[in-house]
Amino acid sequence: MSTTTIGQAYNYKVVRQFIVATVIWGIVGMAMGVWIASQLVWPQMNLDLPWTTFGRLRPLHTSLVIFGFAGSAQFAASYYAVQRTCQVRLFSDTLAAFTFWGWQSVIVVMLITLPLGYTTTKEYAEIEFTGAVWMTVVWVAYAVVFFTTVVQRKTRHIYVGNWFFGAFIVVIAMLHVVNHLSIPVDWFKSYPVYSGATDAMVQWWYGHNAVGFFLTTGFLGMMYYFVPKQAGRPVYSYRLSIVHFWALITLYIWAGPHHLHYTALPDWAQSLGMAMSLILLAPSWGGMINGMMTLSGAWHKLRTDPILRFLVLSLAFYGMSTFEGPMMAIKTVNALSHYTDWTIGHVHAGALGWVAMITFGATYHMVPKVFGRDQMHSTPLINLHFWLATIGTVLYIASMWVNGITQGLMWRAINDDGTLTYSFVEALQASHPGFVVRFAGGVFFLSGMLLMAYNVWRTVRVTDMAMAEREARFA
Amino acid sequence: MIEVILNIMGVAFLWFAVEYCLHHQTAESLDDASLIPFADDPEVARRVELATGKTVRTLPPQEANPDWETLDI
Repeated sequence: MSTTTIGQAYNYKVVRQFIVATVIWGIVGMAMGVWIASQLVWPQMNLDLPWTTFGRLRPLHTSLVIFGFAGSAQFAASYYAVQRTCQVRLFSDTLAAFTFWGWQSVIVVMLITLPLGYTTTKEYAEIEFTGAVWMTVVWVAYAVVFFTTVVQRKTRHIYVGNWFFGAFIVVIAMLHVVNHLSIPVDWFKSYPVYSGATDAMVQWWYGHNAVGFFLTTGFLGMMYYFVPKQAGRPVYSYRLSIVHFWALITLYIWAGPHHLHYTALPDWAQSLGMAMSLILLAPSWGGMINGMMTLSGAWHKLRTDPILRFLVLSLAFYGMSTFEGPMMAIKTVNALSHYTDWTIGHVHAGALGWVAMITFGATYHMVPKVFGRDQMHSTPLINLHFWLATIGTVLYIASMWVNGITQGLMWRAINDDGTLTYSFVEALQASHPGFVVRFAGGVFFLSGMLLMAYNVWRTVRVTDMAMAEREARFA
Repeated sequence: MIEVILNIMGVAFLWFAVEYCLHHQTAESLDDASLIPFADDPEVARRVELATGKTVRTLPPQEANPDWETLDI
């Protein structure tokens, strides 16, 4: 252990902590995903224990990867980028430290309560009332740290990446509070204040925008900082980035009803959700093109820079999944795709291809800088991670496409006399090969994550004091 | 009817927001804004200037504050 003054001008301690948390929760959350994928291949993998059944581990998997992995990554990236683009130290070291320990405690609450069966049953919002209140307190502290830092900036302009981070913080607070409005009956049981179709609408207003703001807007903030920085080029069109911002936040919030097609929700709300989802393609692709075109004149760097490759591939998957999403929101397409594995494939095109890939790129960019190293311990390992992650993602989404379309067609097939051609079990048996391929894809992706952990560990365990001091001067 | 009104309000909000943000911006000020990520990194800033021909306005690093803690790494 050595002591140095690295990060004096900027608070890098909290960034380092969140980076380590990102890696740890990434491994645990993805391992949980691989485990439940194995349960669909070999049902005995549920171990015949209530705590390890699919129904309890699936929400744990989504909570750990969304709030543990993606959440910690966004804390790290936003704290890193806001300091560097505002050229001022993060507001209040104490409050920043509180957000780290507070957020980790929220994830630990999820880790303990969800396998025990304490759940609101609302997708991506399963944490029960007490935990949800604590989460709100931590989030408010995050907002105070972030926005006060922006207010204290030395630059005249607020860089566009910070606009996206800011929108992510504000909208997630709003969604979380409204969706969690409930009446507690004890510490870990509550009932929502809404009922029936209203409850469903509020849940999917939250659920879709958890994807839209927790898994998109914050990561676009990350994209607008790390892609230009790694490519060594300013963003392609700053004007387009501002149009992108306003269009995205104006439209995203309306798209939730597409999760409730052909339900008790009023038909006009379903059609509005479908129309807004289709229009949403424009800002999504505007942002994707803006990110891609940032590489104009620097495409050759992709040959030698696997970090940039992660960032660019994440944009490609972002473009792909934001095309697929609006298509799936069309009612007639949704009639085939809904409740099938196609939806799972779509979510993972975004989660693995976009969210995780850009997180990997940003993490590999930040680690050497915040730990005072010249570069990552091994570039070939980053390259290997890139290919493992890419193969894993492709296996996952391709198998789910095949499964989803197969299931959709088998469920709707009817005989001449109007009876169903296939039973549910027959559709399930037809899905088994796809479950095996999906499990293999997950293993590939998790292996890449383990390589990353090893690479990060090897990078941070040996500190170059001279480098650390040089970085501290710039910082 | 309500969905039509909501849609019109949404479009109007978008137009006013973009107009408000871009109204006073010039090509030069937008260029300056896009170069902010490089402003605190003199080595990268030099490479960006060479590649793009644009000038990155670098700022001097913040003065060290005695209250800032020394970190163990």
